[in-house]
Amino acid sequence: MSQLLEIRDLRVSMGAQPILEGVSLDVPEGGIVTVLGSNGVGKTTLMRAISGIYKVTGGDIRLDGKPINGLRSDEIVRLGICQAPEGRQIFSNMTVLENLKLGAGPRTGRAYEEDLERIVGLFPRLQERFTQKAGSLSGGEQQMLCVGRALMGRPRLLLMDEPSLGLAPKLVRQIFDLVAAIREAGTAILLVEQNAKAALRVADQAYVMESGRIVLQGPAAELAEDPRIRAAYLGGHVH
Amino acid sequence: MGAHFRGFSMFDAFFVQQLVNGFSVGLVYALIAIGFTLIFGVLNVVNFAHGEVYMVGAYAGVVLITAFAPPLIAVVLFVMAVGAVAGFGLERLAFKPFRRFQDEASLKSKAMREATLLSSLAVSIVVREIVEKLFGGAMRPVPFEAQLTEPIQVGDLSFSTGQFVIFGAAVAMFAGLQFLLYRTRIGLSIRAVANNPLGAKYVGINTDRTIIATFVVGSVMGAVAGILVALYYGSVFPHMGFAPGVKAFVAMVMGGLSSIPGAVICAIFLGLSEAVATEFLAQGWSELIAYGFLLLTLIFFPTGLFGGARDRV
Repeated sequence: MSQLLEIRDLRVSMGAQPILEGVSLDVPEGGIVTVLGSNGVGKTTLMRAISGIYKVTGGDIRLDGKPINGLRSDEIVRLGICQAPEGRQIFSNMTVLENLKLGAGPRTGRAYEEDLERIVGLFPRLQERFTQKAGSLSGGEQQMLCVGRALMGRPRLLLMDEPSLGLAPKLVRQIFDLVAAIREAGTAILLVEQNAKAALRVADQAYVMESGRIVLQGPAAELAEDPRIRAAYLGGHVH
Repeated sequence: MGAHFRGFSMFDAFFVQQLVNGFSVGLVYALIAIGFTLIFGVLNVVNFAHGEVYMVGAYAGVVLITAFAPPLIAVVLFVMAVGAVAGFGLERLAFKPFRRFQDEASLKSKAMREATLLSSLAVSIVVREIVEKLFGGAMRPVPFEAQLTEPIQVGDLSFSTGQFVIFGAAVAMFAGLQFLLYRTRIGLSIRAVANNPLGAKYVGINTDRTIIATFVVGSVMGAVAGILVALYYGSVFPHMGFAPGVKAFVAMVMGGLSSIPGAVICAIFLGLSEAVATEFLAQGWSELIAYGFLLLTLIFFPTGLFGGARDRV
């Protein structure tokens, strides 16, 4: 499979503090790749660097082999990388429909209507709430809006940062079903998760991060059996 | 009894006249407050140079009128263009340099806010001094033919053409801005950046360009307000932006900092209160009203009278 996204030796610093110290990973066309790791190892920094929110201090991010580091966040969205970010970052004072419209970018008319229909098909709940302020939605609905808004941009690669954070177990299952459904529609996904078990079940490929570096990588099914992973991230119990 | 009644009604007409004048003054504050509040809503910073944009708009218009005496509409269009350039330049000069750090913390950080308070204040002082050097510090009368001071008598009340023009302009600007914010793409982007600058980046909004657009729109409004008020009062002077700028600032705070309708209502309320206050207070004391309202608002309504969980801008 050809690589959609290639990251080589990526370095990001906040002031003098290095956060990413040489991260390399690949996301193939139409694949699901997950990055696991505990809090504060740099997963969100990685996602923000890909989206052009944080400046890259070294290394390379390539989309279809063309370097994209140094581009502005809006240029990266135009190239087909959309993100459902950590903390959702929805527009809480604006309506649900306005949030989705913003996700669509410059597309209007026919193309926009089609996308909206597609998103409403995935999240029927959102349609009932179209005219409501996004901030008045429940946590699960906000997460759906966040993912729906990112999908309105017709991404080739969807970045999902902790989509299950703070959601009830039933909703977590829904989110992971959704991840599989999005891939079925042809969109590649890079998924950052603390819920390692669910992430490994849905992903093809997995990377484990520790303090700014990739320490382990391999097919998700193999990593799920790896004793080190089981000890560190899957624990004795499922959460 | 009859005489008493007539006396009362004469006081009444005078009082109503005061209200009319106060309403006009309130509209002047509102015209300035709209642009002020728009920029605050998006950047979360006070643009202290807004009063100078208003002053520059007035001077630009008066210079054009003195040279060519064009029709009012041409003057307004010219002043709009000057306002747009002023807004663009102001943003590049006083605000952009403090936006180098694009993460969410810096975007709304205190340091950035305080830095741009001072940089916009600096720009405002420099611009005011330049205008003073070029045109002198004294009041400069607007050519008489261009003044909007023609009296219009309605019963016991007297209006002037300027009051109607300012009222029309205030309605048009407010409606135009609501249309821009709620019906156009750039307006949607402006509201998105105001609501969540980081989220705006994630949906692919060019936040830099959106901020410039906000400054351009806000400054066009400020500049147009300046020329209309100059034509209404009949003169311009380098410090003309200061007092109404302070009043507009108070109206913005009273309105909840980022609510344009709130700022407009509070601006009119402020103008009316000042007019009524001249009934009871000596002229010099009416300045007390704005600062008194500011204090009362900050003490009793820290989020403003119309603040809280409403849409920013």
